[in-house]
Amino acid sequence: MPGYYDISDILMEDEAVSVAFHVGANGVGLLDPGTETNSVEKGAKIDLPFWLAHELCRRRAVSITIPSCFGQKMKKDVQADAACVDLGTRYPYFYEFGCKLFPLVGDKSIGLFLRHTFANRYKEMLSKSHTASLNAIPKFVLRLSKEEYQLFEAARSSMVEFKKWRVRDLGLMKTTIVGHKRKTDLH
Amino acid sequence: MYARRAAQLLQELSSCEEGQLPPYNGDKFDQVIRECEEHSRQFQSLIRDKDIETKNEDHYGSFIHHLSIIRNKRCLMAYMYKRAEVIQSYRWNVGRVLPREIQDKLNFSEQEYFKDYCGVIDSYMKDLDLDLTVDMVPPKDPYIRVRVLSEIGEVSLGDHAVSLTKDSFHFLRRTDAEPFISQGLMEEFVE
Repeated sequence: MPGYYDISDILMEDEAVSVAFHVGANGVGLLDPGTETNSVEKGAKIDLPFWLAHELCRRRAVSITIPSCFGQKMKKDVQADAACVDLGTRYPYFYEFGCKLFPLVGDKSIGLFLRHTFANRYKEMLSKSHTASLNAIPKFVLRLSKEEYQLFEAARSSMVEFKKWRVRDLGLMKTTIVGHKRKTDLH
Repeated sequence: MYARRAAQLLQELSSCEEGQLPPYNGDKFDQVIRECEEHSRQFQSLIRDKDIETKNEDHYGSFIHHLSIIRNKRCLMAYMYKRAEVIQSYRWNVGRVLPREIQDKLNFSEQEYFKDYCGVIDSYMKDLDLDLTVDMVPPKDPYIRVRVLSEIGEVSLGDHAVSLTKDSFHFLRRTDAEPFISQGLMEEFVE
């Protein structure tokens, strides 16, 4: 589980989600760019950072709408070809975000969707990571989410270490090859 | 407001390579602290003379300000913590004296932290009578070839004395040669 000081967890919780307020809130007008008074009206729909939406949702002050990264269009893209979906630029925290969002929103299918996406992308990622060299960064790496990238790096570096181990200089003493004294058969 | 600036501080830190630090961003740090003070002021004005139990609009507004302060605190703590971790690693990877480029990236209290950390490690090593910072990678060979860079003179190593004149080559035990190498008086001779 990510800790208090985990920076990637903190940055992940900064992702914006769209919420609908069930209650009003005074003194926080800056959250809603459309409001004239210094408060948010009941029923307003605003984008909040996930850390705020998460806490408010737990106290039933807002309800979170499922963001587009888990919506129908995304599901179609994954169905077509999971490995080509560009998670690196669009949703780098795809999996962590989904795991945290899933209990708050009433949609049970998100969990299965995450697993399905990961399983389909894993096959290609595994084969590419074992063949990639240390210096070249294949274009496909840019499409990986942060968590997938860590797995990719782990596999790549362990493959490089394995190759180094295979050709290592053992430092054994080389013995001179004692040739067989052949008795020439003269007759 | 609402921890956006604090998240930018952390973005700056995470975009650096592993083991490197960006320069200490004192301005942004102070801005985040001022934002916390602003949230606190708003919180106080919403809470004043109100009944804590009723869940009305003021309650939710004050709750949002409270959460923002907690979030800013978490971001600032993580910023300091990550920087402290990297500073600790400098003692093991770089050494007791930091080069100018690294020192410029630390603020005053971070430099003090580095000095204190070095002091703690040194007193621990003195108690153990063991230098923990040599041989971070297990060496293949207990002996190495060295070339002497500046005149050292006669040194007694173990049971025999060696005359370390400038530009001479020797085949010494690694533990004997390491203190001279780290001071820059010798270098390892690699074919």
